[in-house]
Amino acid sequence: MRKSTPYLLLGPALLFTAFVLGYPLLQNLINSFRDVSLLRADSEWIGLRNYTQVFGDDLFWLTFRNTAVYAVVGTVFALLIGLGLAILLNMKIGRISNVAAALYTIPWVISPVVAGFAWKWLLNDNFGIVNYWLSSAGITRGGISWLGNPQTALLCVIVARVWQFYPFAMIMFLAGLQAIPREQYEAASVDGATAFRRFFHITLPNLRAITSVLLVLGVIWSFNDFNMVFVMTRGGPINASMVLPVLVREYSFVHFDLGRGSALSIIVFTLLLVLSVVYLRAASRREPT
Amino acid sequence: MMNLHSLALCALVALSCTPKSDVVEIHDWNFGGMPKMIEFLRERVESFERTHPGVRVVQSQKSWNMIREILYADFSAGAGPDVINVHANYAAEFGGAGHYYPLNKFPDFEEVRSWYVPHFIESTMYKGNTYGLPCSAIAFVLVCNKELFDREGVVPPRTWSEFREVARRLTKDTDGDGVVDQYGLVLLGGDRGGFAYRLAPFMLKAGANILSDDMTKVEFNSPRAVAAVKLFADMYQVDHSITPGFLAYTLSEINDLFSSNKVAMSIEGPWFRALVKDKSPGKDLYAVPVPVPDDRIDQYDTAPTLQDMVMYSINAHSKHVNEAWELVKHLRNVESDMAWLSTDMGAIATTMGALNSPEAKNVRDLPMYINELKHARPWPSHPKIIAIANNVIAPYGQKAISGELSPQEAMDRAAEEAREIIEGKQ
Amino acid sequence: MKKALVIILLAVLALPVLLPFLWTLSTSLKPLTEVNRYPPEWFSENMSLNPYGDMFFYLPFATYALNSLIVASAATILTLLVGSLAAFAFARFHFSGKQIFLLVFLLSQMLPGASVIIPLFQFLRDTGLYDTHIGLILVHTAVLLPFVIWLMYGFFLGIPGEVEDAALIDGCSRLGALRRVILPLALPGIGATALFAFLGSWSEFFFALILTSSDATRTIPVGIGLFVGEYQDVWNQMSAAAVLFSLPPLALFIIMRRTFVTGLSAGAIK
Repeated sequence: MRKSTPYLLLGPALLFTAFVLGYPLLQNLINSFRDVSLLRADSEWIGLRNYTQVFGDDLFWLTFRNTAVYAVVGTVFALLIGLGLAILLNMKIGRISNVAAALYTIPWVISPVVAGFAWKWLLNDNFGIVNYWLSSAGITRGGISWLGNPQTALLCVIVARVWQFYPFAMIMFLAGLQAIPREQYEAASVDGATAFRRFFHITLPNLRAITSVLLVLGVIWSFNDFNMVFVMTRGGPINASMVLPVLVREYSFVHFDLGRGSALSIIVFTLLLVLSVVYLRAASRREPT
Repeated sequence: MMNLHSLALCALVALSCTPKSDVVEIHDWNFGGMPKMIEFLRERVESFERTHPGVRVVQSQKSWNMIREILYADFSAGAGPDVINVHANYAAEFGGAGHYYPLNKFPDFEEVRSWYVPHFIESTMYKGNTYGLPCSAIAFVLVCNKELFDREGVVPPRTWSEFREVARRLTKDTDGDGVVDQYGLVLLGGDRGGFAYRLAPFMLKAGANILSDDMTKVEFNSPRAVAAVKLFADMYQVDHSITPGFLAYTLSEINDLFSSNKVAMSIEGPWFRALVKDKSPGKDLYAVPVPVPDDRIDQYDTAPTLQDMVMYSINAHSKHVNEAWELVKHLRNVESDMAWLSTDMGAIATTMGALNSPEAKNVRDLPMYINELKHARPWPSHPKIIAIANNVIAPYGQKAISGELSPQEAMDRAAEEAREIIEGKQ
Repeated sequence: MKKALVIILLAVLALPVLLPFLWTLSTSLKPLTEVNRYPPEWFSENMSLNPYGDMFFYLPFATYALNSLIVASAATILTLLVGSLAAFAFARFHFSGKQIFLLVFLLSQMLPGASVIIPLFQFLRDTGLYDTHIGLILVHTAVLLPFVIWLMYGFFLGIPGEVEDAALIDGCSRLGALRRVILPLALPGIGATALFAFLGSWSEFFFALILTSSDATRTIPVGIGLFVGEYQDVWNQMSAAAVLFSLPPLALFIIMRRTFVTGLSAGAIK
């Protein structure tokens, strides 16, 4: 076996990553210090001005806040629902749990664009079925404009996100639940523990590693989530549901200010880098040495 | 393993090979358009191909509300179609930047120019060059839901007071369940470009300017213009006669609301009648000039509304400008133009041949539109005006109407940003 | 008794979960004049499969579908090829820099599309790959690579070294062992990874949106996503497109469900 074999094997992958991800990232960093516009061919060095413009823009802080809420709330609820369903599916109920599992995964399989589209139609303020049910049940009076009202737009996007992401958590939790050794439960029953105590003292601790991984992954992926928000609201109304990826596109392709778009994307990347380090710590804790 | 590898490689190479041919291929992007219009254009293109063997036209449909981004992304890539239909006010921005081909360079231009109403083809000019052939003239008017108006026994309003009053009266709970389900007015909030086009007519009818005549000063925060914004703000926040969800509404949603009698008025152009007819055949509407402020009632017939023009342009980077010119002439000659009169496609003819024809007299609302077009004013032909309308006037207008800022405050801030854009600081 | 309760609970919870999809399905079968009814109806009088046919006239969905298929298939094959090689290197070899390279791939998985899209756009534009199938395939391949490597790494680790050693003793080369012994064992893992990769590329929207523009290269998600809220919304046709678009992933998922779940578990438990 030659010493260069592993490097040869790695070669193509590294090439791809370098060209499609590495080089653009570097170029992005450079762009962020220049006054680059989609409309002109020339650009000049302007140092940190793009960054100060971004940090000085109220829209950035609003977007940051929106994205953080979207990521954290969306992920936490998706995990809760995923865990609940996984527990139900893990109970001994026969073949039907396979069918149920498949059905419950549909939101994730059908892609964020379709999900966004479906929810947008569902929440239509005049013809959507959600409004119809709510007002028939007497919970609301009349049609609420879910996506047209700055107060509710972000909430709707979060609901759609939870709907779209929980299956992933559910499947991971299910796998995790199935991997818990029987003996732990049997020993606990012998000791006379109630189902309640079994859950809190055996199930949950065993799932801790998966939970932390899911949390961090979920938050990171949420910060990157462009598709659903774009399709549902494009970040509106009046930026109420604007999230960071959509804002990058807005700066770059609507205001044509590539420099500012680059600065923003570097800021987002740095943030995610920090979160990724957290993830690595969490992941290494469960890896067998 | 190796076989798979080479197979994959071959597939990639095969995909990248395109056959070469002797036929000239030109690309035509059509922005927006209802199914009937799209069908008409396809037929028209086919008849062009029959009379011009050796030229093949590839048509694509594109999203109207992303028109600017798509065009710029492609132009900057040296790509882009040969022929496009766009707003005439892109002449300043794109024509000025050298992306559109100056049609006056073609030898038969003078003859072609004479086909059109002079003031229409003027609106496609910038700094002495003509960048497009007018396709459809647009004047923004007020459309009124005939059924709801007749039921209530009101007539289309002429002044702002009447407008406000009518909107108030037509906002009601029709089925007695305690919830308002019919509104007086709907606004196009979900499309930034479109929203600015709904505010501007009211500002212009009030006698305000968007920019000064020499285009160096911003004037859309003048008292008269702010009064227009305040009118809507009051209607929304005080009377509640504007649909609450307007910030997310697109044209098709407005169509839905209008057709199902949930809304009584909207600010639209010639397309609206055809749009509604497609969705609800038999639904009728009144199209009247946009109301004027009470103290300008004597100028009702001559106060300007917002004019817009759709034009056919040729990409300056096109490799087949002559063939493109032939296509554009074919799509925009009097014969094509007559189709606007014979079928309701929501477009107003732009050639004198069509407008002076006997058929023209039978077209609903045409006399009204022609009068409005005589006095209407387009957006100022500043290269940055589209950016200002879409990214400054629209969002701040929305903030003012929804109550986040006061109308004066919103327009002042908007004016500030617009100034920065004009001076090139942004 | 408890079993029945759980089943009932699952059935009840399934409704809100499936609601958006079912409502889209219902809309996709109605004629345009019956789409906007209030109160909304699940079944209207003239339901038919017409929208599924009409939609091909309004937008070139057949082309979009073909493009999606081409891009997703090619990207899946390419990323599996490249990724498996790299994952094998990580799983079976010790070499200097291994930890760093692992880190690089792990981190690039977290990379937001927003961070690379602009230079990528310029790069593709300058190399003539903008608005081409190849450009998008290459980008998708690179984007899917980290996740594929991560998954395959887990699978290869899960195959005990003894199997390979036996083959080596019998006279195979290292790579020969890979081909004859390990790959067959890793097949379920490859299957699950292929499914993930295909799904990822099939539903990818952001890069496809910005890096293509003509109908000849446009993929379905962009077709659906862009025309939502257009000049003339044909909700029924758009719904039909959304339903059709969901069918391949759904079908693939149902067929490969077991491999899918084992795949994920292997990744989760490692």
